[in-house]
Amino acid sequence: MALTRRAATNFFAGGDMSASILLLCLAALATLGFFLGRSRALAAAEGKASDLHSRPHYYGVNAALMVLLPALALLALWSVIAPLTIKAQIAQSVPQELVAEGASLDLVMTDVRNLADGLNTAVKQGVISEAKSHSLTTDTTDIRALLGGVGVALGSDVTPEVLGLAKHYRATTRASGLWKTGLVLAAGLAGLMLAYLRTTKEFRARNSVEKTVRAVLVFAAGIAILTTIGIFLALIFNTVEFFRLYNWQDYLFGTTWQPHSGGGASQPLGLVPLLWGTLYISLIALVVAVPIGLFAAIYLAEYASARVRSTVKPLLEVLAGIPSIVYGLFALLTVGPMLMSVFGNEGLGWMQGASSVMTAGLVMGIMLIPFVSSLSDDIITAVPQALRDGSLGLGATPSETIRQVVLPAALPGIVGAVILAASRAIGETMLVVFGAGAAGKLSLNPFEAMTTVTAKIVSQLTGDADFTAPEVLVAYALGTTLFVVTLCLNVLAQIIVSKYREQYT
Amino acid sequence: MLDATHPNGPQTETPVSTQSKLSAKDVNVHYGDTHAIKDVNVEIDDKTVTAFIGPSGCGKSTFLRCLNRMNDTIDICRVTGLITLDGEDIYNPKVDPVQLRAKVGMVFQKPNPFPKSIFDNVAYGPRIHGMAADKAALEQIVETALKRAALWGEVKDRLHAPGTGLSGGQQQRLCIARAVATEPEVLLMDEPCSALDPIATAQVEELIDELRQNFSVVIVTHSMQQAARVSQKTAFFHLGNLVEFGETSQIFTNPHDARTESYITGRIG
Repeated sequence: MALTRRAATNFFAGGDMSASILLLCLAALATLGFFLGRSRALAAAEGKASDLHSRPHYYGVNAALMVLLPALALLALWSVIAPLTIKAQIAQSVPQELVAEGASLDLVMTDVRNLADGLNTAVKQGVISEAKSHSLTTDTTDIRALLGGVGVALGSDVTPEVLGLAKHYRATTRASGLWKTGLVLAAGLAGLMLAYLRTTKEFRARNSVEKTVRAVLVFAAGIAILTTIGIFLALIFNTVEFFRLYNWQDYLFGTTWQPHSGGGASQPLGLVPLLWGTLYISLIALVVAVPIGLFAAIYLAEYASARVRSTVKPLLEVLAGIPSIVYGLFALLTVGPMLMSVFGNEGLGWMQGASSVMTAGLVMGIMLIPFVSSLSDDIITAVPQALRDGSLGLGATPSETIRQVVLPAALPGIVGAVILAASRAIGETMLVVFGAGAAGKLSLNPFEAMTTVTAKIVSQLTGDADFTAPEVLVAYALGTTLFVVTLCLNVLAQIIVSKYREQYT
Repeated sequence: MLDATHPNGPQTETPVSTQSKLSAKDVNVHYGDTHAIKDVNVEIDDKTVTAFIGPSGCGKSTFLRCLNRMNDTIDICRVTGLITLDGEDIYNPKVDPVQLRAKVGMVFQKPNPFPKSIFDNVAYGPRIHGMAADKAALEQIVETALKRAALWGEVKDRLHAPGTGLSGGQQQRLCIARAVATEPEVLLMDEPCSALDPIATAQVEELIDELRQNFSVVIVTHSMQQAARVSQKTAFFHLGNLVEFGETSQIFTNPHDARTESYITGRIG
């Protein structure tokens, strides 16, 4: 993972100095392809564009795409795969004793890479020459000091073995870069040739471009789906790892949550109090947000004049853009103390501290109002005016019309909006970290501090995390649980919406 | 006849047929800066079908919508002049537009059944106006309305199927049944057949002729043949002016105004 990211940064920052030049070359080749393709097509038709199957510029675009797509695909693949292969190759030649005395192979590899990168930087800044960088030895030069001078800090003194490996690493990377440049340019040229040869009067360039465009769009959609699958797999693997260490029944049905470092499989990591806290806070949030948001939407869509609507709607949407951590501050510093003064020890005595389910729920409700109202407003406005006219024309009042005709027609959409709001409430993190408290508790009193699944994922993963201990890995199980719950809610929303969608079309 | 079809409560005394049901005097309508209707004067008789004809954009639909204050729902629309129903000014601030619309029903150009069952569509008006004492009475009203709209035979076995599932012509007849069920005194129809095929059109026209027994009907239409077939009085609108108003037979055989003659012979429009 780290390696591919590194490759990506190299690629884009011009770490291989040729990368940007290479892209420029490809762009030039593509432009050349465009003009060659177009002029050849025109020449084939003896200047009469109407004799061609497609408009002339399609032949040009076809040639340009034939240059770009294979070359770019090759470039991307090479940039991802080459560093991985090089790393594996170097790792194989790491001598045994180097690993034995230090910690792990990974640490040695990190040293090698840092050193290699440091040498690259030194050469680029002109501190040493390219030739000198190949002939360096640990006996004659203090490499650590040398690299420190160009701003690269090495963790330890450089051993001859590591220096050898770093030189090897640099040489291989360099060779790989050259091969990459050559092959990518060759692919671009080959595409150009092929497109040029295929350009005849009858060639269906327009259809060919259409197919390519389609393929590019499918590819983009595919990436979106694959990423989702990737995220899900990453969660699943670690969740499985967790359940190998921890009994799944204790997790799913356990009613206490008290993780402690080094507790192993016997510490109570029960999901129930966290899930209860999550659902309780979400419920309060929805009780606040749904009526207010819906009524606001009805006012805006049905009663407000065009001027009021054009002012209030953007304002509401600004409210939706406030980051949740700001709402968290509002909960912690304003709403919490306010509730305390009424329900705290000086008042009714139901509340022990400013953090509580009620604090978080109220503020989360406020946060969701613009979300609910904006979505519902769009849905209500989408109900055809003809239905309103029909009802008003029968002598119904505006509110009868809304209650009996507009809302029933908009209901599936509104239910969908509410479920979306619910899944947002369940996934909300920063606000509950601030407003709800930190202790997992099972209680019906909404003025007590409780905590949620998301808040606990944060607390289990921050600080010194040992990724082999159940109290850390449980975060992934919690993540999977959230994923499943929100997925179910979204699927439910989809089903409800699609079931009633056709009613007024 | 009329009293028999008004089951609930006393209605206003049926006016003598010589007096007009609806009358408009010097009516002007502005949409923002557009002067859409210019000094229109019309007398609409009871138990008569009155047709508004004229080229597109001449203001006939706009004028129709003034008659039950449907233009109130449009912010930028201003109506001036006097429109009376049974001698009462309908734009008087004391008049409730909601009650007015119960008396002056409307059928729209495109069928617009509610996303409810056929039964609930027809029962909608009677329910909000509290016209039925119990379920049996409501069912009776729905049946009567559907029979009047010549739809009963086609839907009596599926009253609880959605109204939106009917064909276009059936939907329009459902909308007519819905309007008829509230027992209006005047029924306004805005191009009710423009979305229908010839067979459905014929059914609706037949229906309009039957409705004349009980209501005063005002119909906006683009089809001059339709106006000639269904109406007794015809008003010709052109560029916001009421050009000519009179007996349908006279308008179509012996128009007084040159513009009317040009339009009905197909030279303008």
